[in-house]
Amino acid sequence: MRKNILLLKIIFLMLMAPFCIHTANAQAMLQVGQAPPDFSLADINGKDISLKSLEKKKAVVVVFWATWSANSKKALKRFEEFYKKYKDKEIEIVAINANNQIISKDDVEAVKKLVKELNITFPIVFDDGLKTFRLYDTIALPSTIIISDGKIVYELPGLPLVGTEDMIDYLMTLAGEQPRKALVQKYKPRHDAIADTNLAKGFIAKKKYDMAYPFLNKAVEKDSKYMLAYVELAKLYEIEGKAADAENILKKALTVEPENVAVMTELGHLLITTGRNKDSITVLEKASALNSYTPSHYYYAYALGKNGQIKESLANFEKALSLNPYEENIYTLRAEVYTLNKMQKEAASDYRKALEMKMKIRN
Amino acid sequence: MAGKLIIQFSLLACLIFSLSFSAGAAEDRQKASSLLKEAVVLYEKGNYDRAAELLAEAIKADANYPELHDQLGYTLLKKKDFDGATNSFNTALKINPRFRTSRTGIGLVQYHKGDLKGAEETLKEALTLNPYPAMTHYALGLVYEKSGDYEKSIHHFKEGIRTFKGGKR
Repeated sequence: MRKNILLLKIIFLMLMAPFCIHTANAQAMLQVGQAPPDFSLADINGKDISLKSLEKKKAVVVVFWATWSANSKKALKRFEEFYKKYKDKEIEIVAINANNQIISKDDVEAVKKLVKELNITFPIVFDDGLKTFRLYDTIALPSTIIISDGKIVYELPGLPLVGTEDMIDYLMTLAGEQPRKALVQKYKPRHDAIADTNLAKGFIAKKKYDMAYPFLNKAVEKDSKYMLAYVELAKLYEIEGKAADAENILKKALTVEPENVAVMTELGHLLITTGRNKDSITVLEKASALNSYTPSHYYYAYALGKNGQIKESLANFEKALSLNPYEENIYTLRAEVYTLNKMQKEAASDYRKALEMKMKIRN
Repeated sequence: MAGKLIIQFSLLACLIFSLSFSAGAAEDRQKASSLLKEAVVLYEKGNYDRAAELLAEAIKADANYPELHDQLGYTLLKKKDFDGATNSFNTALKINPRFRTSRTGIGLVQYHKGDLKGAEETLKEALTLNPYPAMTHYALGLVYEKSGDYEKSIHHFKEGIRTFKGGKR
């Protein structure tokens, strides 16, 4: 009997898996421990490269980047240095270009020029339509994901100075080398906590909220460091109008990991929606200073805008757009700020851009 | 007796004819449908010339398929062939007078030709017919944005965002 239940649970999880990928938290990249979605994309010579074809490698580094992002160039340069030394150690790098929603001939030329200039030798592929970019819930450019043994083992949005070198050290250990400094054991969420959270997300998507609570509570109990479970639980409380419970659960998460940017951002967002704008500014200012987590920048910008600090607000929206120009939320929130400040023309333009993005309208 | 046989034979012949005719029609529809799918992919990639070629081929296979004329209308609109686009949208509407996206297409042609008043009227009419109005709201938003009525423009863009669900345009 127990065997049958287990089998049913496994079958259910397998059925839910692709669904869960699509409904993944819009404010976070895919999480460590999750299976990466496969992709098959054409490189600069038109040859298709799929993730599946690289599954026998010790590790695959997937880098999302764009020619217009200065940090992307730095990331490519750093990865090329690494690749030259370690490509024979079964480490592969695939750089996914996300220059535009629709990749134009000009984009292809710009990529070829940069590849030549930086002497890049690892594969560069084009994500025409940004399908893979969205499948991976990418929130910033550049963003890096390391895959090993069929699972995501590392994810890094942006190009933080220390974080990037820590990631290189981690890659060195995967290549069988000694890292340059002692590595802090990287946290890996418990599988059952991930599974429970995914089940709960499935129920939430089907609006079966009562069914979702026990799974999220169990996930938090099983792995108190698994921040996604707290965030999902807070969102569920928010959906059901239980703002105080949402706030409590996020604050509980911050006692476990005080500088978790995703949790701080969710709390900041909650404080905005409950009318505590000044408090949200304090939380979001701290979150946006920590790293390149795009939502922290645009919610911070939004809170500043609602507080009448239009100049600072617009500067932070620009920062968010420089990290991820494909996020429609940035345009809708900035449009709201423009409307509040009676800048109707600018507001109309931003709402139009958000709708064009949503409907994938090409101009 | 002979008369009865003749009637039975005629009925059988009619049945065979209509079956083979409908099998042929189904085949044509299938061919047109697969060409339409290809054309939509090309359209989304911005390859409008090739998309228009495929749609013309599909129309040869099945001229009574309104989606083909509608998609050709949007493709010609992208190529700035406004008269061609209008003809295609009108053909789609002739086959199915309630074809929702073609009326919006006509409004978009009017907008691109600078006939903002005409576009507004057409699109308002399209809005009443349309159960999936996001594209029509988008088009109305464009019309009001161009005419400087930002308040109405904002209203329609926001409605477009609100009503856009599951990829339905």
